[in-house]
Amino acid sequence: MTDFRADHHRLLLEAIIQPTSLTGYSNPQWELLLRLARRVKLLGYLAARLEKEELLDRIPVRAANLLRSALIQARKQQQSVGWELNRVMWALDDPDLPIIVLKGMAYLLQDLPNAAGRIFADLDLLVPKESLARIEASLLKKGWQHHALTDYDERYYREWSHEIPALVHPERGVEVDVHHTLSSPLGKLNIDPLLFREAAVKAKDTAVYVLSPEDMVLHCAVNLFQNNELADDLRHLLDFNEMLLFFSDQQPDFQQKLIGRANQLGLGNPLFYSLYFSRVLLRSPISVHLEKQLDQQPGWIARRAMHHCVPLALLPQHPDHPSRKTKCARVWLYWRSHWLRMPLYRLLPHLAYKFYLSVFPGKAKTSKQK
Amino acid sequence: MIVGQLSRDTFRALLVGSGLRVKAGPFNLSIRTRLPYLADQLHRMYAHYALMDEAEIAEFHVQVISKRSIRRPFAQLIQFEVDGRSPFPPVPAEQALATLEWGINLAIAMRINHLLLFHSAAVERNGHVLLLPAWPGSGKTTLCTALIHRGYRLFSDEFGLMDPQSGNFFPLPRLMPLKNQSIKVIRDYLPEAVLGPEIPGTLKGTVAHVRPPQESIERSDESAKARWIVFPKWSANASLQLEPLPQSEAFLLLASNAVNYEVLGETAFDAVTSLVRNCECRKLVYSGFDSALAALDELTDD
Amino acid sequence: MEFIWRVNYFSALRVESLEGEFIVFQREAGKTHFLNEIGLKILSILDQSPATLDSLCRELSEYFTLPPDTHFSAQINRTLQRYEALGLVSRVKENA
Repeated sequence: MTDFRADHHRLLLEAIIQPTSLTGYSNPQWELLLRLARRVKLLGYLAARLEKEELLDRIPVRAANLLRSALIQARKQQQSVGWELNRVMWALDDPDLPIIVLKGMAYLLQDLPNAAGRIFADLDLLVPKESLARIEASLLKKGWQHHALTDYDERYYREWSHEIPALVHPERGVEVDVHHTLSSPLGKLNIDPLLFREAAVKAKDTAVYVLSPEDMVLHCAVNLFQNNELADDLRHLLDFNEMLLFFSDQQPDFQQKLIGRANQLGLGNPLFYSLYFSRVLLRSPISVHLEKQLDQQPGWIARRAMHHCVPLALLPQHPDHPSRKTKCARVWLYWRSHWLRMPLYRLLPHLAYKFYLSVFPGKAKTSKQK
Repeated sequence: MIVGQLSRDTFRALLVGSGLRVKAGPFNLSIRTRLPYLADQLHRMYAHYALMDEAEIAEFHVQVISKRSIRRPFAQLIQFEVDGRSPFPPVPAEQALATLEWGINLAIAMRINHLLLFHSAAVERNGHVLLLPAWPGSGKTTLCTALIHRGYRLFSDEFGLMDPQSGNFFPLPRLMPLKNQSIKVIRDYLPEAVLGPEIPGTLKGTVAHVRPPQESIERSDESAKARWIVFPKWSANASLQLEPLPQSEAFLLLASNAVNYEVLGETAFDAVTSLVRNCECRKLVYSGFDSALAALDELTDD
Repeated sequence: MEFIWRVNYFSALRVESLEGEFIVFQREAGKTHFLNEIGLKILSILDQSPATLDSLCRELSEYFTLPPDTHFSAQINRTLQRYEALGLVSRVKENA
């Protein structure tokens, strides 16, 4: 099953699936593993697992130093984003405004197993569309600022994407992304954010909300297979898998509820791929029959293409021997993600403009110069 | 085995092939490049560095590659890469050595958090470390160069690496980039200093590197505790002043220009508090080396 | 409207004195603050009991034997607002 995968992929996956096996790694294996894990932002993840098993003192000291460094960094980021949430709630000063915390910070608030050592730098919030302007105004008044944006980017954000431009408080530097929907309003997948908002649950010990367990897992799947380009995104597949297993442990009927919810929301495709690749890459003990119950499933051509391309994108390139095949797979997935997010008449000018900027980076017109 | 014992051909073959693996203080570096002039510069400037033990882990993998630009198709450009990622845009080929050195410093600053990284020069005398933290452009590299040619052991001109638990500082002797007028100042004052090529046109102007003395590199496993903190400031025609600095000010200056103070959080708060309490804190204003060295000698005499 | 000011988690602040100046580590925020004696006294007064601006100023001027005037009170008010933005103190409505 794993024969098409390169040695360095196996090395990384083995470390993730079986962290206790790391005590047996040779120094050359460690050296390569550390480089690979850094590339896919999983050093903190590995460090947290080794620390939990009290194995950090039983591995080579240079490896332990780099892992500890990554863990310290991850913890600092988690603290910074958590504090940013505290400051945002203070600035909004409105106990009746329902704020839903998404992604990394939500995993942390709920103390999910994938949160330990997880690297994330931004605070993502989901709010009602009608509150967006008021929230933006409150934060701007209390000292947050928009990143300096080009006119083009500003328009892209406000009209075509699903966010207002990121807000940053200059004294703290944490990016606050305020969303009013969970996918591009122009994309092929039309998700009604109201259904997610209605199902949201109170987070542990705070005044904010997080998505319900099913929605949290589905949102992760949508981000992975709908909104992202998948390159070096293994950690999001890990998020998906760990949350799925954690919630399945807690609630015996969780997987059935998840399938039902995906069918209700029309999110069969991203859930299909997430389940499929969790099993293929992470040896997830999920039944093969689970995704068969989805109303919506990708066709066999798409499935075959994805089967070959997705692992090449999710898993890191060998740092010294990048492969051309991987590059092609990643380019295809890059186009796919944009294709899913935008209609062609918007997509082509967008990509043409991005290419133009990559050649002439000085040419972007900035509307707000800091 | 040290770099200077390798023939030029063997040395080049390593850089082109699996990588030159050298020890830099507490870290191991793997460096690769196909650029022959960079290889020759490194062969001379890295002569005293020890090759790392082959069985060990190298923490940093860097590379300097030649690069083409669509915008400037005829320019000879190079790019620095760490683990295949490029933190800087391409620069003219003659800046390869300076870019490599800055790139390695950046990689250390970005990745290392098990140690507290002060943005500071550090030298050792009589078994204790003298820290010279200062803002860029204050002349700390120049003063540090003078000190290490007058009996002080080089720890680093850029990073004070401190173990926050034990308070020990670790040497990280690397090439020291003199900038602009400092190059001539050092050539005149220290004709014995070994300098690399003058590299014009970098972001910081013209740069020439000082090769660390052999003894500093040979003893780079010997850590020490800090005893003096001196904030230097060069000022034309100023008469020498070496005055006490309030601990709170020393704390502020150290913490606010430490690379990872915020990342280490309370650990760093504790470490810097005990550091300033256990050190003699001074500020130094000087215009000439002779009087500055005499004053620092007096401060650090046993 | 008059507010009552209170300090947030004083016990989670690490305070060290360095030759008469104070460095404060705010654990929740991960930030270090540099305070003089008055700056720290504001926090310790509010920690003993939440207070309005007026009563805080009264206590401060007694302690430091300063003449109470509007200039002093405006300065303390600015400090409180700065502390509030930093998350060191927060305000509650008087009758709450």
